[in-house]
Amino acid sequence: MIDYDYLRPDNLEEALRLLKEYGPKAAIIAGGTDVMVKIRNTRKAPEVLVSIRGLNDLRYIDKAGDYRIGALTTHRMLEESDLVKTELSALYDGASKVGSVQVRNVATIGGNICNAAPSADTAGPLLVLDAVVFMEGPDGKRSVPITEFFTGTYRTVLKREEVLTEIRIPGEMEEFGSAYWKHSRRKAMNLPILGIAVSVKMDDQIISDVRIGLTVAAPTPVRAYKAEDFLKGRPLSDEALSEAGRIAASTECCSLRDSLRGEAWYRAEIIETYVPRMARLAAERISKRRSK
Amino acid sequence: MPDNLFVGKSIPRTIEADKVTGKAVYIDDLKRPGMLYGKILYSSHAHARIKSIDTSRAERLEGVRAVLTGRDIPDVRVGFLKDQTVLKRDVVRQYRDEVAAVAAIDPDIAAEAVRLIKVEYEQLPAVFDPYEAMKEGVPLVHEVDARGRPLKSNILPLPWKFKAGDIDQAREDSAFISKDRVSTTWVNQCCMGTSGCIAEFDQNNNLTLYDQTNVIFGHIGRITEYFEQIGLRGKKIRVVNPVVGGSFGTKLDTDIYEFIAIQLALKTRKPVKILFDREEEFFALPPRQPTVFTIEQGCDREGRLLFRHCEAVLDNGAYTSWGATTPSVMIMPMSSLYRVPNVYFKATCVYTNNIYAQAMRGYGNPQATFAVETSMDSLAEAAGIDPAEFRLINRNRPGDHTPMNLKITSCGLEECITAVKEKLDWDEKREEGRGVGMASLIHVAGGARVTKSDGHGIMIKLDEYGHVDVIESGTDQGQGSPTVISQIVAEALGVRPEDIFLTFGDTALALWDAGTHASRHTFMAGNAAIGACAKAKRQILEMAVEQIPKIIKRDFKRKKRKDPGFVEPDLDFTLIANPEDLDIRDRMIFPKKDPDHPYFKIPLTQVLRNGLHVGIGQSKVVVAEEFYDPPTEMLNWEMKGNLSMTYAFGTSGVEVEVDKETGEVKILKLVSAHDVGKAMNPTLLLGQIYGAAYTGVGYGLTEEIKVRNGRVMNPNFRDYQMLTAMDVVPIEPVIVEPMDEDGPFGAKGVGEPGLVPTAPAIANAVYNAIGVRITDLPITPEKVLKALKEKG
Amino acid sequence: MKKVSISFTLNGNSVTAEVPETWTLLKTLREYFELTGAKEGCGVGECGACTVIMDGQAINSCLCPIPEVEGRSVDTIEGLAGEDGTLHPLQDAFLKNNGVQCGYCTSGMIMSSKALLDQKPDPTEEEIRTAIAGNFCRCTGYVQIVESVEMAAKELK
Ligand SMILES: Cc1cc2nc3c(=O)[nH]c(=O)nc-3n(C[C@H](O)[C@H](O)[C@H](O)COP(=O)(O)OP(=O)(O)OC[C@H]3O[C@@H](n4cnc5c(N)ncnc54)[C@H](O)[C@@H]3O)c2cc1C
Ligand code: FES
Ligand code: FES
Repeated sequence: MIDYDYLRPDNLEEALRLLKEYGPKAAIIAGGTDVMVKIRNTRKAPEVLVSIRGLNDLRYIDKAGDYRIGALTTHRMLEESDLVKTELSALYDGASKVGSVQVRNVATIGGNICNAAPSADTAGPLLVLDAVVFMEGPDGKRSVPITEFFTGTYRTVLKREEVLTEIRIPGEMEEFGSAYWKHSRRKAMNLPILGIAVSVKMDDQIISDVRIGLTVAAPTPVRAYKAEDFLKGRPLSDEALSEAGRIAASTECCSLRDSLRGEAWYRAEIIETYVPRMARLAAERISKRRSK
Repeated sequence: MPDNLFVGKSIPRTIEADKVTGKAVYIDDLKRPGMLYGKILYSSHAHARIKSIDTSRAERLEGVRAVLTGRDIPDVRVGFLKDQTVLKRDVVRQYRDEVAAVAAIDPDIAAEAVRLIKVEYEQLPAVFDPYEAMKEGVPLVHEVDARGRPLKSNILPLPWKFKAGDIDQAREDSAFISKDRVSTTWVNQCCMGTSGCIAEFDQNNNLTLYDQTNVIFGHIGRITEYFEQIGLRGKKIRVVNPVVGGSFGTKLDTDIYEFIAIQLALKTRKPVKILFDREEEFFALPPRQPTVFTIEQGCDREGRLLFRHCEAVLDNGAYTSWGATTPSVMIMPMSSLYRVPNVYFKATCVYTNNIYAQAMRGYGNPQATFAVETSMDSLAEAAGIDPAEFRLINRNRPGDHTPMNLKITSCGLEECITAVKEKLDWDEKREEGRGVGMASLIHVAGGARVTKSDGHGIMIKLDEYGHVDVIESGTDQGQGSPTVISQIVAEALGVRPEDIFLTFGDTALALWDAGTHASRHTFMAGNAAIGACAKAKRQILEMAVEQIPKIIKRDFKRKKRKDPGFVEPDLDFTLIANPEDLDIRDRMIFPKKDPDHPYFKIPLTQVLRNGLHVGIGQSKVVVAEEFYDPPTEMLNWEMKGNLSMTYAFGTSGVEVEVDKETGEVKILKLVSAHDVGKAMNPTLLLGQIYGAAYTGVGYGLTEEIKVRNGRVMNPNFRDYQMLTAMDVVPIEPVIVEPMDEDGPFGAKGVGEPGLVPTAPAIANAVYNAIGVRITDLPITPEKVLKALKEKG
Repeated sequence: MKKVSISFTLNGNSVTAEVPETWTLLKTLREYFELTGAKEGCGVGECGACTVIMDGQAINSCLCPIPEVEGRSVDTIEGLAGEDGTLHPLQDAFLKNNGVQCGYCTSGMIMSSKALLDQKPDPTEEEIRTAIAGNFCRCTGYVQIVESVEMAAKELK
């Protein structure tokens, strides 16, 4: 039978203490949209759920030099933030496409990346925004770049007794335009067949810097570095973008697989199609913002 | 005739206000005293021998009241071909085979107990592809038939065959011929309310089954038969229907879980509820089955169809429910959609170790129409004729007798095709990647005599306050019947919709009904209601003839007492001498010749009250019933016969835009034109059209149950791609109203038609847009892109 | 199983539920308070039939652990009509405009719509569709539901 104790600390110290006390018996629950589903589907639960929903200090979006997003920030808050929409557009694209309004009202960005599903909709955007993940545990605070955060499917560097506290995006990303495409068969309530995030920095018509992030393209969300290298310094032209798409879709950048939701060859096509489309959208966005 | 007060008007669904306030009681919400909860253990293999079942741990779990396996109950065969048992004793033939069941005081305990049951299997070779299954030497899904005779093949003993005219000659005479192979896949009905029932026995072993069904009387026959074999001969059965959270075909048969609930209730002597969760709804409920068609058609130089030849293979799954009878409905579009004199159709149902199938909105029609309408476009192209023009040339017309002996009475197909052409700017030149397509349909719309009786009963009684109880033998699964029936009764009886109290779905109260399926309810219940109302009205008017003079005279006496100078007016009582002279409208009785007569126009309630409280031995109540069984025919051995009083026609037209880089198909516009006879309630009618068209778009583009080696891989809404509100389909409905002479107030059935032609219309539009034809549903981006690449 | 005592505001009234700690808000509403308007169409956040409003936001009550409801304010379909039975404009519009057929999705659909209208009294069609994207309906094709919400929005103004 499903049975657990449900603890609701109201500050981080208390949460960390409980996690330490219960050790392997305990698990964190934030919005619960992954945790509750897993409990129901597997009919198994940890002995103790430590709910961090009461840690209201971890719910914020602001910009003080860097962009700072509290781990408990919901997708709905991201979706409704003008700052996110205009300056971190890819993250807006991702967060606003998660599940439904009901899910977005409770599901958190922290939960999304800690759950580390290959399909997580904020992972691609965070990859191309150079996000840094901050964690706190019994041994203090630490941070890792998002590129090092995911260690496998549903696995991260996070230790059992640690809480993810903040996601920080360098202020320099202000110079980038970004966009994320969630490719799915219907327009809502879907996990992506593939996710493509692109951020670009433009120097007139030349791509001076670029990041490409792919989800459901490998066991973890990945950056398509080879494609990025190719694009840097090139003009935003059909040829350059198409070639970047091809490189991104190749085994040099990802390891596509057939699954229930889509076949590998199709995923490759989508990468080839959407790396250019998203790059253009990202460029358009930054130039629009510039002209304002 | 004065205008209708209610029929034809968009009366709100006020009578269903419980559904917007959370008060409506669905099977989910229903509880009985002492009720237990049942859960089922399903097979973990597609084909295996059960070596042993250990239920001991489940039995020991606190709160468990019964654990049953096939060994604990009589091994009685059930189902359409009696090819399965309730709990499987020796062999499982599909993943959804019911192996054991538990009743417990709480659903979670029951689920936990099911997990504790250990079954040892010995795997058997399985077969999943129907073509493979037809070959010799493959594993047999069933070794013996219902009577224990050995079987040699996986082909079902249900040879569906239809022949009319001379195909060979027609083929020779044809100037143009097209040949296609098309296929459709499994789709789930996706009722938002999952399946469930409560079985409850009284002390004398009579059963009350609270059940989420749309064929309440169907259960009685099947369960009676079951009872006879398990030692409950002669026991009575009452089926009570709570509000049904969608049906769409799922509840036509008595499913295994219903028999299991009965067995658990027998064992525990307590009411037992089984309610499916969503996962079960996806893998343990029979869906619409996959079908492969090879279809050939030919026409002459002028584009007149000369023949249609089609062979179908249906993946029947491991057992037989109504899914295996869908070919009987396929024959209708095969033989009668468009004028075609020579027809051959053959359908073969094949056992496999896949999940088995049931009915779904449209029955076999969406599958068959996908084949016919795909082929119509191919042939039009071969003949060099515009596809719309080609359909107009071959359209059905009023007065036609089709090769299946369907007698077409009213037929608005021409108007439907024309409307679609116009609304889509059919002949317009379009941008690259855009295209239009259309498809039409024929469907039963005046009942469907699939069993010997196609009857429907209604009972009406009035109390002295003018309240009307209508006891309907159908069910309400959302189709709008409570509102529409109350409109009809109000109109026919002369009362108001708000005077009516409807009771649906109780076999103890209602007369018989063949089922709320086959788009038959409005037509059948409407006609029955009109009949019952006429009888009730007659009784009221007879009462009125007796009572009105008395009422008036009493009134005069009273007036005289108050005012001795009152002079009695000279009244012409011949105006109300006979019931025929009177009518009722809007709660008032009045003489037809002088509707606003100052004395003879009297409230209905006054007459009813006087008729009831009249004095010793003369008291009367008004009660009437009508059992309407239309003069239609059952299909004969050649599968011919006019099984419905009338037929619905319609055309879907679609404009699409295809993204050639991703293969995605976007619907820019969907015109859904339907011949409905007469719109009883225009707003509700649109709801049927929108809903059905939407499901049709899902059928065409996104929905499929993915079955791999017999197992359902996507038993949830996350991966089963039913459309959301964000997947906007701009639907433009067109209502064609030819007024059907047999329909109630001219109406025909409309429940299923909207779904039928949508998918082929999309496929044809995709072809028009990009020149590749996707012949297997759904038309996924992967298929489109692959086809585009192959085309180069 | 350990029981907890959870106090919150339910449809405007202060209530306390004594239920097992592992129950969800949906189960508590249906089993403890016998408010069966919210339905379990899937139990895993995928259908929206269980939608209620918590502190002004539409949520899936099937995913909400009951301890999280402590001190909060929950509104369900049962609290929408007036005490005298007067329907809320949304309920009325759903009846008038055929936004309801079988009715199984309706409680959730109306609660999602209400959360939207409370925040945005004058929503666009796109906003309405976004608000109900997590509420599946098999009967209506959504068209008349969207129209019902539009009608109610006008009525509420
Ligand atoms: C119907 C439905 C639709 C969905 N659609 C999408 C979708 O479209 N795209 C998508 O990406 N996801 C989707 N999801 C998944 C889910 O909603 C997201 O992953 C969500 O962001 C998880 O956040 P949460 O707060 O609910 O996480 P929880 O379920 O509370 O936690 C998830 C995991 O992260 C851990 N965790 C959470 N917060 C922290 C923290 N601060 N520190 C350390 N560990 C932590 C938990 O222990 C758990 O392992 C969907 C879920 C549902 C039910
Ligand atoms: S029951 Fe909660 S979303 Fe389906
Ligand atoms: S009205 Fe039936 S599911 Fe929406």
